Formats: sequence, C-alpha cells, structure tokens
Amino acid sequence: MNGIMGFFEYFTMLMPQVLHGLVVTMQIFGFTLILSIPLGVIIALGRLSKYKVINWITGIYINIMRGTPLLLQIVFVFFGLPLIGITFGRFSAALFAFTLNYGAYFAEIFRAGIDSIDTGQYEGAEVLGLSPKDTFFRIIFPQALKRVLPPVGNEVVTLVKDTALVYILGLDELLKIGKIASNRDATLMPLVIVALVYLVLTYILSKIMTCIETKYNYYR
Amino acid sequence: MNTLIKKITAFSLAALTAFTLIGCSPQKTSTSTLDQATWVVGLDDSFAPMGFRDEKGEIVGFDVDLAKALGEKLGKEIKFQPIDWSMKETELKAGNIDFIWNGYTITEERKEKVSFSNAYLNNSQIIVTLADSAIENKADLKGKTVGAQSQSSAVTAMEKETEVYSSFKGGKAVTFESNDQALMDLEAGRIDAVVADEILLRYYIALKGEEKYKILSEDFGNEQYGVGMRKDDLKMVEAFNKAYAEMKADGTIKAISEKWFGEDITN
Repeated sequence: MNGIMGFFEYFTMLMPQVLHGLVVTMQIFGFTLILSIPLGVIIALGRLSKYKVINWITGIYINIMRGTPLLLQIVFVFFGLPLIGITFGRFSAALFAFTLNYGAYFAEIFRAGIDSIDTGQYEGAEVLGLSPKDTFFRIIFPQALKRVLPPVGNEVVTLVKDTALVYILGLDELLKIGKIASNRDATLMPLVIVALVYLVLTYILSKIMTCIETKYNYYR
Repeated sequence: MNTLIKKITAFSLAALTAFTLIGCSPQKTSTSTLDQATWVVGLDDSFAPMGFRDEKGEIVGFDVDLAKALGEKLGKEIKFQPIDWSMKETELKAGNIDFIWNGYTITEERKEKVSFSNAYLNNSQIIVTLADSAIENKADLKGKTVGAQSQSSAVTAMEKETEVYSSFKGGKAVTFESNDQALMDLEAGRIDAVVADEILLRYYIALKGEEKYKILSEDFGNEQYGVGMRKDDLKMVEAFNKAYAEMKADGTIKAISEKWFGEDITN
C-alpha cells in the first residue's frame, strides 16, 4: 500500500534528525538522573535530620521546586540568573533546572522510603551494638532503596517526557524536531514517529527498572 | 557506611561544579553589535518559509539566506540560534542573540523593546476559509469561530478592528501554537476561518493543496517585516540599513527573493 510505503520513506528521511533529537533528549535525561538521585538522597537526609535548621531549609527547597512549574524554573535559571551574574549555557541551564527539580521529587521518595522502615529494624540494630551510622547505611538505607524502586521508576519515565520542556531554550530535543517537521511538511506524521520513539524509550526504561526490582528482591 | 555518602556527595558536587564551569559563558561587553566578529541570529526554526529546517535538519529559509548574505558582505561570521518565539525579546536583551530575524513584524509595541531595521517585506493579514465556505467578507465572520497563531501579529491586527473582532463567536479569536495547527483545525471543521501572515499562509496552502482553500479579498490590514536589533544600538541599525540598501541595489536581495517566492517581493 502506498500509505505504508510513504510512511517508511518519510520515516527514513526524518531518521537522522530524530536521532539527533534523541541524543539531546537522552543527554538531558541521563545527566539529570545521574545528578538528581544523589542530590535527592542528600536532601532526604536533610529532611530527616534532627537539626531543625537543615530540616527547615530542605523543606523550603522541596516546596519551591515542587510548587512551581519546571518550565518556569528553566526560564528563571536561563534568563533570570544572569541578572545576578550567574550565566549558564543553554544546555547547562536546562540541566541545572532539571537536576534541582528532580532532586526535590527524589528527596521526597527517598524520605518516604526511609520513613517506611519498621522501628524494629532500628531496635534490632541497637541490640546488635551497631552505631547509628552503621544502622542507617547498612540496615535502613538498603531496605529503603529497595522499597522506593517502583516510585523511582515512575519518576524516570516522567523525566523522559519532561525533557520536551527544554524547547523553551531553543534546544533541539525530540518533540521539537517533530514539531518543526510537522510545521514544515504540514502533516502529523512526524509527531507519530516521535511518539513511537518516546514509547520505545519508556518501554526499555520500564523493562530495565523491572529487572533492577527483580534483582533486589532477594528476600522473596 | 560513611564512604557511601562521601562518595555520593563528592560525585554530585564534582559533577555539578563541572557542568557549571563548562556552562558559564562570558558576559557581553561590547556596546554595539557592529563591533563583534560573530553575529548570532535568533530565529524560530519552525517558521517556514522565513526560517525553518529542511529534510536534512539544516536551517534554511528566506531570512536565513538574507542573513548569510549580509554576513558575507560585512565580513561577519553568522551563527543561527534557534529560540522559542515567545522568548525572543528576552533573548535579545540578555545578549544571547544579536538579531531577531524571522518574519518579525514591526509593531509599535515591539518598538518599545527593540530597534527595527527599515522594513524589508510587505505582508498582510489575510483571511482563509475552506473552499466551500459561505463566508465572503469580514461581516460574514459574525458569530463564526476564527483561528490564529497565539501571540502573532494576526491577533494584534484583528484586535484593532474591535467591532469585527468582538462579533466573532466567543468575542475573540481561538489561538494556536502554530499556523499549521490552525489550518488543521479549519480542515477538521471546528473553526470557520484562519487569519495569518499572507507569506506563511500561502506557503502552507501550496503544501496542503490550493483547491481546498479560499482566500477572502478583504484582509486585516497591511504590515511590514523588519529585523530586530538591540534597543538603542543605533550604530548597528544604521550599518544594517546601509548594507541592506546596497544589497538591494546590486541584486543580491532580488535573487534571494526569487529563490523563495518566485518573484522579488521585497522593499
């Protein structure tokens, strides 16, 4: 059928650009993940800290980051911070905003995970003579990590789709490539192609998350 | 135990510092764009046929060719920076780009924010309906749904004709992110007419099939495209206008216009 052939022809033509967009999307995605997960752990520890000041500061941070749109944060980092002398490039501005934003979400996930561990675990550790540090890092945190894998997986998939927001800085991510081609050729086809790429991407990531979950399910 | 958190902290701090440093670009110090060796042209790369991407992903278009010709003439390196159209004046003011050059309509409102070159292209806000539509003039638009691109000069032009504008269904136009979407909605039958730049609409109509559409003889007025430069950078504006006049005289502009529009439609 002509339609199918036309689709493949169009698909082949658009592929180099789509791959370029995919690289940008994956860069934002990968770097954000690498940076925001550790940041999330640190913020979560701050939220659980016995020091009121740290508690309070991390609380405000999470409120701001979760309470304002990510798009606005990107615009603020790129256009607002230069006013006080901090100038980012386009890519690093996007990355900085994404890391801060996702760090806050991950922090809440990790906090919930750590909170969910039964007090019996702490008591057992105390009986065994473990120090508070050992108790946290050897007993509590590994268990919390296992528990939060599903919500982390959720965030990971959301992150893939959120990368589309960097269009506001003129970065050529996947969705923008699709929109440009759609505008140029006056057809919805590029958006269908881009949707398929996102779908494949999130499918692979979900599979990876499931694998990790299975691997860490060693008590069952 | 301790090593884990130390590793995490050290790693994230190092990574954060690294990309902060890489990302930092020097602040612009020169007062006039004219003194810079490289010029950054800001454009919405989805704005066919003025500036967009071809099948290979290269930035092409009428305005792109003009900018390249100007750079060649004045010995400047021209770089094209895709921007989001809603951020254009902010990008210019922040020094991220040196020109807004992409079918940029001259309006009084924009004159407060940027300095314009002399107008180089005439444009009008035309009204398009489906070929079999009963709408023949602006009066027929009463009670009809009219679409346009959000934040475009089409909306500004319609708002000027208060009486016609308020007679639309809902008392205002339905706005879309792009003209292409407005035309798709027209085709789907949810809106009755689209108002947009003649230059852009003719491009889309040619792509989608001219027989499907009807262009009304009445329009929402004429306007002109200009190039936006930093406010009060008069030195640059002067040099620009002089160079443009010379390129117009020696036929460079004519050749570019013929390439994109089949005829010389520039000023």
